[in-house]
Amino acid sequence: MASVTLKNIKKNYTKDVTVIKNVSLDIQDGEFVVFVGPSGCGKSTMLRMIAGLEDITAGELYIGDTLANDVHASKRGIAMVFQSYALYPHMSVAENMGFALKLAGTPKAEIEERVKKAAEILEITHLLERKPKALSGGQRQRVAIGRAIVRNPKVFLFDEPLSNLDAALRLNMRVELSKLHQELKTTMIYVTHDQVEAMTLADRIVVFHAGLIQQVGTPLDMYENPSNLFVAGFLGSPKMNLLEAEVIAASATEATVKLPKGLTVRAAVDASNAKVGDKVTMGVRSEHIRLVDAGTAEALPARVDLIEHLGDIVLAYIEIPGINQILCVKLPGHMTGLKYGDDIHILFPREETHLFDAEGLAFKRVR
Amino acid sequence: MAMSKNVRQALGLTGHYSGLILFAIFTTFPFLWALASGLSADASKMYLFPDGFWPHDASFMWFERVFQEMPFLTYTKNSAIMSFFTIIGVVVVSVLAGYPLARMKFPGRGLIFVAIIATMMLPSEVGIVPNFITLKNFGDFGNWIQESLGLGSSWNMREWIGLNSYFGAIIPNFAGAFGIFLMKQAFEAIPQDLIDAARVDGATEMQILWKVMVPVTAPSIAALAIFTLVNAWNDYLWPSIVMNSKEKLPLAVGVFNDLTGPFATSDNILMAAIVMTVVPVLVFFAFTQRYFISGMDGAVK
Ligand SMILES: Nc1ncnc2c1ncn2[C@@H]1O[C@H](COP(=O)(O)OP(=O)(O)OP(=O)(O)O)[C@@H](O)[C@H]1O
Ligand SMILES: [Mg+2]
Repeated sequence: MASVTLKNIKKNYTKDVTVIKNVSLDIQDGEFVVFVGPSGCGKSTMLRMIAGLEDITAGELYIGDTLANDVHASKRGIAMVFQSYALYPHMSVAENMGFALKLAGTPKAEIEERVKKAAEILEITHLLERKPKALSGGQRQRVAIGRAIVRNPKVFLFDEPLSNLDAALRLNMRVELSKLHQELKTTMIYVTHDQVEAMTLADRIVVFHAGLIQQVGTPLDMYENPSNLFVAGFLGSPKMNLLEAEVIAASATEATVKLPKGLTVRAAVDASNAKVGDKVTMGVRSEHIRLVDAGTAEALPARVDLIEHLGDIVLAYIEIPGINQILCVKLPGHMTGLKYGDDIHILFPREETHLFDAEGLAFKRVR
Repeated sequence: MAMSKNVRQALGLTGHYSGLILFAIFTTFPFLWALASGLSADASKMYLFPDGFWPHDASFMWFERVFQEMPFLTYTKNSAIMSFFTIIGVVVVSVLAGYPLARMKFPGRGLIFVAIIATMMLPSEVGIVPNFITLKNFGDFGNWIQESLGLGSSWNMREWIGLNSYFGAIIPNFAGAFGIFLMKQAFEAIPQDLIDAARVDGATEMQILWKVMVPVTAPSIAALAIFTLVNAWNDYLWPSIVMNSKEKLPLAVGVFNDLTGPFATSDNILMAAIVMTVVPVLVFFAFTQRYFISGMDGAVK
C-alpha cells in the first residue's frame, strides 16, 4: 500500500499538443480516488503515466516515498485494470491471474493459493480452467480485476472498467468494487466518465477538464459546492440549470440578480466582491426548483414544454416566457397531473441558488 | 412467389456448389492423375483420357519399386531435416524482425521495411551466384578452423557450413520478406492494452514477446510454418546446386535425379514417388490445421 503524489505533472504527446497541463495532487494511502471528466480530457493519459506506460514530460510522480518517474512499469508495484480487460487469450483464467506472480518467480503452490483466494473473493472459482473467450463480459471483468488483486499491489488503477457492461451488471460490479476496497484497503485510482460511479465509489473525486484539475473534493461537497461552472454542469443528472443574469444588489450574505424581462432571483452567496451590473451565471439544480401557487412572493411564471415520467420521479422541462432556455425540474413521481402547455409558477429557493462570476468561478455559498 | 424464391435459392446453391466442385477438380486433378498412374500396374493407359484418372490393374507394385530404385527413406529424412530447420529458422527470423518493425519506434524503421519488401521484387535466381560464392567461402572458413584446431581431415568441416551441407542448402531461405511481412501484420493486430497489461504484470520486453505476443500470433505462425514447409519441401533448384553427394539430397532433387531422364524405368514409378513425396506435407497440414482457428478471441472486450 502506498500514497501517490503528483507534483506539477505535464504531458505532451507532440511538441505543441499539451494533454496534461499542470497537475498536482496528493492521494493518501488507502484512499479511493475517482478521476472524472469529459472524453479526451486526459484521464487515461494521467493513469497511464502513473502506471508507467507513458513517459512523464515534466513534473514528479511519487509512489509512496520513491520518485517513480523513471521506474519501469513492471517495477512500480501497481496493478491496472483496462477498459478492454486485456486478458491473455491463450491462457486459462487461472494462468491469467497468476501470470504476474509467475514472472516474479513466486513458488507454484503459493501462486495457486493466492489465485484461489482471489477467485473466491470474486466468485469465479468455477471459471478458473476456462479460456477468456468462453467467458461473458462481466466474468472477463472479474478476471481482469482478479488478475490485479492476486498481486497485492501498492496501488490499483482502473480505467473505465465497467463501461462495457450493461446497466444491471455495472451496478452489481460497482457494489463489488466498493466492498473490495473496504476489504483490501488499498489505494485505488479509478477513471470513469459515469458520474454515478464517481459519486458512489469515491472517497474523493477529481474533476479534470482540458488537462487541468478543476476541483478535488468529497462527492457531496463537490455536488453542493461546485467551485466553478464546469464542475457545476458536469456533476449531477439532469444537469444543473444555468441562466445568464446580471447583479442588481450584492452583499456578504446575499446577491440579487436580474434575469431578462425584469425577473429577479435572490441567491444566498457571499457576493461582497461583486458589483452591481456584473454579468453572472445563476444555477439551480433540478430537484431544488419548487412548484408554487401563483400568488407566492418571488414566484416566476413558466410553461411546461415536456413531461417525462420515470416512475419514481417526474422530469418537467419548462420555459420561462422571455428567456429562451429550457429548464429541467425534478418532481416527485406522483405529480402526474402536469401536461404540455400548462402554465405554472416556480420558485428558485434562495439557499439553493448558486452564482458564478464572469470567469465561471463560484461565489461562496452562505448557509 | 414462395416457389420462385425456393427455385432461385436452389439455383444459387447449385451454382455455388458446381463452382466449388469445378475448382476442386481443377486443383486436385494432377494429384489424382498421379495417384491413379502410381496405382496402375498396366502402364499403357496412363496418357489416355479419361482412362488415366483411375487405376488399371491396381497394385502397389510401383510404390514398392520406388524403394528399390532409389534411397527413398534417405531422401525423406534429408527433406525432413532440411524442412524442419528451415521452418525454425524462418519463424525465428520473421518473429524477431517483425516485432520491432511492428511495435518499436526507431529511426529508419520505414526505410528498413521498404527495403525488405523490395527484395520481393527480385527473382530468387538472382541470389544463386552470390550465395554460391558465399557458401564456398563459408566452406573455406570451416576448413581453416579445422586446420587451425589441428583436427584430422575426417572431420570434414568444409561440409558443415559450406557447399554440400544441410546448412548451406537451407540458410538462404531463412530471411524471407514474406514471413517478416506476415509477422509484422500479425503483431500490429495485437491490441496495445495486451502489451501494456503484460508490462504492468512485470514482464520484460523479451518476456512480452515470447510469452504473450508469440502465443497470441500462433495462427499466423502456423500459417507461416505451413507455407515454409511447402516451399522447403519442394525446393529443387538451390539444393540441386549445393548438394553433390547423393546421401544428402532432399526428395525433390532425388526423385528428379533418379527417376527421370533417358534411363528412367517408367513414368508410373515417378508418379508413385511423387504421391509419396506429397503425403508427409498433407499429414503435417492435418495436424497443424487447428491452430489456424484459435486466435485473439476473448482478449479484449
Ligand atoms: N498516443 C497518443 N498520441 C497523441 N495524442 C494522444 C495519444 N493518446 C491520447 N492522445 C490525446 O490526448 C488526449 C487525452 O486522451 P486520453 O485518452 O487521456 O483521454 P480520456 O480522458 O481518457 O478520454 P476518454 O474518456 O474518452 O477515455 C486526447 O485529446 C487524445 O487525442
Ligand atoms: Mg480514456
